[in-house]
Amino acid sequence: MLRQPLTRALALSSPTRVAPVVPAARRFAEQVSVQPEKVEVFIDDKPVYVLPGTTVLQAAAQVGVEIPRFCYHERLAVAGNCRMCLVEVEKSPKPVAACAMPVMKGMRVKTNSDLTRKAREGVMEFLLVNHPLDCPICDQGGECDLQDQSMAFGSDRSRFTDIHFSGKRAVEDKDVGPLIKTIMTRCIHCTRCIRFASEVAGVDDFGTTGRGTDMQVGTYVEKMFLSELSGNIIDLCPVGALTSKPYSFAARPWETRRIDSVDVLDPLGSNIVVATRTNEVLRILPRTNEEINEEWLSDKSRFACDGLKRQRLVTPMLKDSRGNLTPVEWEDAIVAAARALRDCPPDKILAVAGDLADAEALIALKDFVNRLGSENTYTEQYFPTGGSGTDLRSSYLLNTKIANVEDADFVLLIGTNVRFEAPLLNARIRKAFIHNETDVALIGPKVDLTYEYTYVGDSASLVKDLAAGTSSNEVLKRLESAKRPVVILGADQLKTEEGAALLAYTQELALRLQDNLQDKEWKVLNVLQRTASQVAALDIGYKQGVGEALAAGPRVVYLLGADGGVVTREALPKDTVVIYQGHHGDAGASIADVVLPGAAYTEKRATYVNAEGRAQQTLPAVTPPGLARDDWKIIRALSEVSGAGLPYDNLDEIRERLSQVSPALVAYGDVQANNYFAQARALAKSLQKPVSGKLDVQLKQLEDYFMTDAISRASPTMAKCVQAVLKQKTSPY
Amino acid sequence: MSLMKYLALDKVANFFNIIRLNGGIRGSLYKLYRQDEIKDGVLIGEDKFGNKYYENPRYFYGRNRWVEYADQYYLNYDASQVPAEWYGWLHYKTDLPPHQDPSRPKYKWMAEFTENLSGTTGQYTPYSTTRPKIEPWVPKKAGQ
Repeated sequence: MLRQPLTRALALSSPTRVAPVVPAARRFAEQVSVQPEKVEVFIDDKPVYVLPGTTVLQAAAQVGVEIPRFCYHERLAVAGNCRMCLVEVEKSPKPVAACAMPVMKGMRVKTNSDLTRKAREGVMEFLLVNHPLDCPICDQGGECDLQDQSMAFGSDRSRFTDIHFSGKRAVEDKDVGPLIKTIMTRCIHCTRCIRFASEVAGVDDFGTTGRGTDMQVGTYVEKMFLSELSGNIIDLCPVGALTSKPYSFAARPWETRRIDSVDVLDPLGSNIVVATRTNEVLRILPRTNEEINEEWLSDKSRFACDGLKRQRLVTPMLKDSRGNLTPVEWEDAIVAAARALRDCPPDKILAVAGDLADAEALIALKDFVNRLGSENTYTEQYFPTGGSGTDLRSSYLLNTKIANVEDADFVLLIGTNVRFEAPLLNARIRKAFIHNETDVALIGPKVDLTYEYTYVGDSASLVKDLAAGTSSNEVLKRLESAKRPVVILGADQLKTEEGAALLAYTQELALRLQDNLQDKEWKVLNVLQRTASQVAALDIGYKQGVGEALAAGPRVVYLLGADGGVVTREALPKDTVVIYQGHHGDAGASIADVVLPGAAYTEKRATYVNAEGRAQQTLPAVTPPGLARDDWKIIRALSEVSGAGLPYDNLDEIRERLSQVSPALVAYGDVQANNYFAQARALAKSLQKPVSGKLDVQLKQLEDYFMTDAISRASPTMAKCVQAVLKQKTSPY
Repeated sequence: MSLMKYLALDKVANFFNIIRLNGGIRGSLYKLYRQDEIKDGVLIGEDKFGNKYYENPRYFYGRNRWVEYADQYYLNYDASQVPAEWYGWLHYKTDLPPHQDPSRPKYKWMAEFTENLSGTTGQYTPYSTTRPKIEPWVPKKAGQ
C-alpha cells in the first residue's frame, strides 16, 4: 500500500533525499535502533560529526550556521525547488541545494563564499522579479521570510528590466474558505502548503498547475480547504500568499504583546501564543511543544478566539421580580447567592462543573460545597462509577502519551472520531501511519480519519470478543502480534448505559496485550476525554452521573461554566435557585437566577490538565471584561459571605491545596507515569456484562467540529466555517 | 496739586474709602478671600445672573473695568460666566453698557447664554463611533 505521495515514496527508497528527523519526544524508537557510525563533514572549515543521510542543511544547523531556505521545512518532505539554500561544496562544479544533499565523508561546505553569495543573490533576484512590492499593505509584513532574507541575502538592485515594460506576473486569487485569505500573486511556489495538505492534514486538495511563469498553486477547481488543520498553512507560508482572513489588516507583529498560554478548546492542551494589543486578543498562534502539538494547531483553537469578545458576561446579574436578569453590583449578587446556599439543606446543594473550568476553580468549588456539608460535586461529562471508578488515574487518561503514539505499530480506536475530538492526536496517528507503517483499526461509526483503516464494525460486542480473545476477527491477531499496540477508547461511549462494561472490556483487552509485551514500559490503554476540564475534575474528586443528583430534586444548583445542556430548567423543581458562574452567556446563564461573571482562559492564570494528565498553566493575556473576576476568587468571596470561608487567599496557597489533593496537578509540564493497571483491571472484572448496543460518536463530520463549547459557539468565524462547509457539501463546484 | 496729594495722604484716604465701599473690615476681608483684591468703583450695571460690573478711570486702562461675580458662584467663578451682552463693554469693544445701548439687535432666535460646562455633568460628550471591544450577553426577557 502506497501511503504517501509518489514523489515522496520514491525519494524514501533512495538515500539521497532522506531527511531523518529524530525529535526528542521519540524515546521508544531510539531504544531499538542501532546508531550507525557518524561521518565527519566540514561546514565553513568547522568539523561536525553527523549520521550518514543527514542533509548539508541539517549538518550546518548543528554548528549554528543557518542556511536560508524557503521550501525546506523540517516537518515536511524535502522538495528542493526554491534553490535558496544553494551552497558551495569543494570539488563540486556547481553549487548544490543544501536541503536535499546528503552529507558525504570529508565534504567541505562553504556557506559564505563568493560563489554561495552570488548564487543566493541570483535566486533572490529571480524570486523578486515577479513578487509584488506590496509589503506596506501585506499582512505578512514584519514576519515574512522573503522580506527578511532579501534584506540579508539579496542584492540591492535588480538587473532585470523587462518588467518595466511587461509588468509583473499576476495570478488570480483563490477562495479556499473563510479562514484563509489568498493573494496568489505573492506566491513563490515553495509548495509548503501542498506538502502540508497531503502529508499532515491528509486532504490532497492542493497542487500546482502549469509550469514556468504560468505555474500556479491552487485547488485545481475552486473549493474550500476542508480540513481541521487548515490554519497551519498560514504559518507555513513563507510569504504573504496565505494569510489569516479573520486577522487581515488587524495588526503588525511588532505592535502585539505575545503571551504564552495553553489551549482549552480540545482535550490535548496544545501550547499557544496569544497575541494581544490594547487589551484585545487579536490572534492565537501555536507554540512548539514536541510532546503535544509539535508546531501545529487545530482550527478551532486558532480561530475561535473572536468568540472571546462576543456574548460575554460582563456584570453580575440577578433575577428581578418580573423574572428578568438585571445587572447588579457584585455585593448584591454575592449576598443573594450566599443566602440561597446558606438557607438550603446541605444535601440539596448540587455543583456541576463544565467543559472549560480550571483546576483552581474546581478545587475551590469542591472545598466550598464540602464545607457547606454537601458531597454533590459533579462533572457534566460522564464517567462510569463501578469498579475502580475514577480512583485509579490510569483508567481515565491517555496513558501512551501523545508523542509516543508515533511509535505505535497498531492503533485500535474504539468509538472515537479522533480527527475531530483531538485533531492533533489524529495528526500523530497519521504521521505514524505514513512514516512507521502503523496500521489502524476502528470500532464505531465509519468516519473519515484522513488515512486508511481496517473497519471492524460498530457493535459493542466486538470489543467484548476482542477482550475475551475469542474474536475471529483478523484485528485480534494483529493486536496480539503487535510490539507496541495502542487502544484508544472515546469518552463519548462512557455516557451510555453500557459505558462501564465497555470500559471494563477495553481495560481487559489493553492489559492482556500489555502483559505480553516485551517492552515493559509501553502502555496500551488510553481513554480520550472530550474536554479540557475533565481530567482535572476527576483528579480533584468530582463525581459522575449528574442525572441521579438532578432526579433527587436539588434546591440550589451551582453551575461552574456548565454549558453542555446537561442541566436544564425542565429537569429541576420550580423553586430551585440556579447560580451560574462562567464567562459566556450560553445554555447555563440563560437558566440562571444569579449570574457571576468569570474569566475566560486568556484572562487568568489557571491550571489545566490535558488528556495525558499533563498539568499546564495559562497566563493572563488580557484583563477580564467589565466586572468579571478570576473564577476561584469569586468562589472564595462567596465562601466568606456564606460563613464557610476557604483557607486560601492567593494563588500560591490554592496551588498548595491542589498539591495536597494530587501533586500531579501542580507538576507543570510533566506527565507522571500511571500504575495500578492490574488492580483497575481486577476491579473492573465484575463490570464485564454482556453488551449489545452500537457505538456512536457525536462529531462525525467537519461541520460538527467547529462549534462545541461556549467560546466557539459565540465565535462568528466558527459560524462562517460551518456554513462554508455545508455550502461546499451541497454544491461542491 | 493739593497738599494731600503732595504728601501722598490721598492714598490713605483711598484705602479707607475702598474698605468702606466694600462693606467694612469684615466685608473687605471676605472679598479679598474670594477675589484676591478689593477696588473702589462705580457700579455700571448688573446682568441677569447677578454679576456686577464696575468702572473706575483712576486705574489704568485694562484694569479700569471689572466684574464681581454673583455670590451664588462663591469661588467657582470663571470668565465664561460673563454673558455675551456685557462681554463687549468689559473688553473695551464698546463704551456703552447693554442697557444704555439702543442699537443692539434682539431677535427671538438668539440663543440663551450658557457658561462653559466643561468638567461638569452638563458637558458635551460626543458619541463613540468605534465598536465596543466586548459585546456583552443580553439575557432574554421573561415570557419570550
